[in-house]
Amino acid sequence: MSYTDAFFYFFAALTVGSALVVTFSRSVIYAAFALLFTFLGVAGLYVLLQADFLAVAQIMVYVGGILILLLFGVMLTTRVTNAEITTGTVQGLPATVVVGILLGTLILLVSRATWNVQESLPDVTGTTTEIGERLLTTFLLPFEIAGILLLVAIMGAAMIARSTDKTKEAA
Amino acid sequence: MPDIIFQSTKHFWPEITLALTFIAAMIFEFATKKRTTGTGILVLLGLAAALVQLPSAPSEPVSIFGGMYAIDPFSTFFKYVIIVTGMVVVLFSFQSQELKKESGHTGEYYCFIAAVTFGMVLMTGSSNLVMIYLSIELVSITSYILAGFSKSLRRSSEAALKYVIFGALSSGIMLYGMSLIFGLTGTLDLSGIRTALASGHAVTTGWSFAALMAAIVLMLAGFGYKVSVVPFHFWTPDVYEGAPITITAFLAVASKAAVFAVMIRFFYVAFFDNMLASTGVYSSFRNVDWSMILAVLSVLTMTLGNFVAIWQDNLKRMLAYSSIAHAGYMLMGVVVMSNFGLSAIMLYFVMYFFMNLGAFYVVMVIADKIGSENIDDYRGFGKRAPIISVGLSIFLISLTGLPPTAGFVGKLFLFSSVMASQFIWLAIVGVLNSVVSLYYYARVLKNMYLREAPDGDESPIVFSKVTSAVVILFIIPNILLCFFYQPVLTFAQRSIAILLPGL
Amino acid sequence: MDVLDIAIALIKIVVMFVVVLLTVAELVYTERKISAWIQNRVGPNRVGWLGLLQPYADVVKLLLKEDIVPAAANRFIHTLAPVISIGVAFSTLAVIPIAGPTITLFGRTVHMVIADVNVGILYVLALTSMGVYGLTLSGWASNNKYSLLGGLRSAAQMISYELSMGLSLIGVIMITGSLQLTDIVHHQHGWMWNLVLQPVGFITFLVASFAETNRAPFDLPEAEPELVGGYHTEYSSFKFALFFLAEYANMITSSAVITTLYLGGWQVPYLETFGLSDGWMVLVQILAFMLKVAFLLFFFQWVRWSVPRFRYDQLMNLGWKVMLPLAIANIVLTGALLLFL
Repeated sequence: MSYTDAFFYFFAALTVGSALVVTFSRSVIYAAFALLFTFLGVAGLYVLLQADFLAVAQIMVYVGGILILLLFGVMLTTRVTNAEITTGTVQGLPATVVVGILLGTLILLVSRATWNVQESLPDVTGTTTEIGERLLTTFLLPFEIAGILLLVAIMGAAMIARSTDKTKEAA
Repeated sequence: MPDIIFQSTKHFWPEITLALTFIAAMIFEFATKKRTTGTGILVLLGLAAALVQLPSAPSEPVSIFGGMYAIDPFSTFFKYVIIVTGMVVVLFSFQSQELKKESGHTGEYYCFIAAVTFGMVLMTGSSNLVMIYLSIELVSITSYILAGFSKSLRRSSEAALKYVIFGALSSGIMLYGMSLIFGLTGTLDLSGIRTALASGHAVTTGWSFAALMAAIVLMLAGFGYKVSVVPFHFWTPDVYEGAPITITAFLAVASKAAVFAVMIRFFYVAFFDNMLASTGVYSSFRNVDWSMILAVLSVLTMTLGNFVAIWQDNLKRMLAYSSIAHAGYMLMGVVVMSNFGLSAIMLYFVMYFFMNLGAFYVVMVIADKIGSENIDDYRGFGKRAPIISVGLSIFLISLTGLPPTAGFVGKLFLFSSVMASQFIWLAIVGVLNSVVSLYYYARVLKNMYLREAPDGDESPIVFSKVTSAVVILFIIPNILLCFFYQPVLTFAQRSIAILLPGL
Repeated sequence: MDVLDIAIALIKIVVMFVVVLLTVAELVYTERKISAWIQNRVGPNRVGWLGLLQPYADVVKLLLKEDIVPAAANRFIHTLAPVISIGVAFSTLAVIPIAGPTITLFGRTVHMVIADVNVGILYVLALTSMGVYGLTLSGWASNNKYSLLGGLRSAAQMISYELSMGLSLIGVIMITGSLQLTDIVHHQHGWMWNLVLQPVGFITFLVASFAETNRAPFDLPEAEPELVGGYHTEYSSFKFALFFLAEYANMITSSAVITTLYLGGWQVPYLETFGLSDGWMVLVQILAFMLKVAFLLFFFQWVRWSVPRFRYDQLMNLGWKVMLPLAIANIVLTGALLLFL
């Protein structure tokens, strides 16, 4: 087992293990916290695949942005209102059966199917330039659409979060 | 590459107009902050500007942005349906009392309508999995916001929340399906997927084939969620009931049209093998039997939709289940994989546009008047509001698919296309379902005409002249299209050309 | 990569640690001295010559204190938070180049940077954004309203200013055409420092750095009059020392980053005309780098004792309505200049 393999298994275990904690933890704050390690694990996998830009972007966006906001929300709701948010399960048995079958099928398929794989990584020193060029040529259209999508999402979030005039009057 | 981009924008003007409309409306809204319908008018003009550019689309399929997007008569047809629906919804919204109660901010509402129309139009032409995903997300996220627009109404917020949760789940599942497809074929491009399948790659046999089928099923979860196909339909009644009714109408017509377009493109292009010019029947790769999966879903969808609709007392909710059932009918047209089936779906969408929007409009004006969507509150309406009642009756008869209405012609062609492709059992299920649907539509008619108002109140309910005029405007095509459907049919038949690989 | 390489890397890391720790100690001293001068006092002058050993006495005092964890606190996260803070502060320094030429040590070419990551700038930003965790989690885990408010404030503040920080950097990236910090420094040859080429970007970045390090006038997360001690109210002894250390280490890190990005890093104008050998060049450049960092550190402290603290809404307004548009305008301007010049 080479260094790379060892690192791969480490990051894979980190990702899957902490993802399991996210799923099964009853406390939302622990789940959010475990998610941090899932993201870091994924970033590590990106590094192993020589996707340096993606790895750092993953940390910046998910760890530095999304997860912080998530924690923010959880903290505000749990501590300020003194309500302990926990996650529970309903319909445990049917869900387990369905998910179990789905998981089994997917594991079976993923392990047996012939995948279109590249035998070795292309020899690249940095992906940033390439990604930048692709985004503005081949993937120009999706790139622009993603921009509009985010704009809509921001507007919507602002609209939902804004207090209506009525509640202002009441307060 | 820059050349390709500049070449591509030449065909992309309707979409660009829509995007600009959204941005202009947003800036206008920020700049004026007036609680007027100014933004709405701006959006209406923008949609109209996009609409008038559609006829100049090339008559031959063109692939632009390096295979990301397809401009073909097929997508253009759906663009017409979507943009016109968008305009009608904007017009309806001018009249809606429900929105006016929302203390201003209606400007943003119109911005979102522009954005969602843009997203739907993009869906019709997306020919790359990335584009398909992004455009579906654009439509979904905007729809979540619009569904929860009536913030003061509890049911509206509930609708938005349910929509988001189901939407997030199904889009995640679809993404997983996409990743499986990418893993198997090594490409995200629809025609590239087809090439990979055709190149004798091991995908069409053994475990890889099973993985491909699993990927298709997962993709169907995403598509099926958007058109509310049965195992993924749970959000539909609550969202349709909770959302502002204008949005419900929009979701029921335009959103469905867009998803049907993208779904047809996905299945027909990526798994396309050959098309017999004489019969117009497509064939799919020998094993990839996606049409059977769809046939089963179609039967489930229409049966469940129709049977559950029977128990509904809220007309909005009933129409939600009825729209589930209609999605089931239309899926039959996808199943048959023929040009006949395609043109039948397109024809059906035109009919569906008139009958569904008409019905939702009547529900909206009545709800604004009496503050209820309950079927029992419609008692005695036949006498109290004759024009509206006649209108609603015709729309519901049309939805059932009885002559002499547009719905009849739509169903006729849909069922014949299914018969022509030897799916006799499917056609029979469809017809039986239409019979079931007659029951619950007739219940509304019975309440309106055969029962007295609860307190014997026979005073006429006065609707404005505009309202009556709009209802009449919707009655006319519903009747006329039963007899003079030929131009629409011809147009639909001319619009079946999808951008296919290797043609 | 054999043992020697790893050993060299380890030596670099250890040297960096020791230097930063010593600097932090002296920073505490200078902070007190500078505040004393500004307020016309004498400042520490008893422990050692001119009071130079004062910080070490402080450390000993801190370590001898009892470590108190509030009863209802979350012990695990309470302990983890300062570790995150300090880890992030130190890790960033790994990509900062401190001299240009390479020197030969034990037959190996040694670069004057611990890790020359080719997405260096993004690495810095990613780690900066992780710094929020230390503060936020400590605030939450302490189970104290002052701590929580401090933690939340820090999260909101750092997220807001991270945006303008990242956007101000884009001008530098556009000029250099690389995300690698060594490239960026090489590009600032002679007097072509990014300070000269990107004055607006420099100012926005500098202000954002103040906010990111939670230094006055942006020290709202620990604003004493309102929040007692802010996020570290419930910390004592060694953990408090770690936070203290992290704050100053963060100052050093951001001074080093600003130096690298805008003040030409190790560049000394006209140095190559003297015809020095590589070894001497390295020495002079390291010295130059340290001087620049030292000046910025002094600047940080100067500002702290001269400028009053912002109010929270002023802080947010400044971040979103002034800094962000300025940073975006800077990008547009840089782009236009690059295109037309």
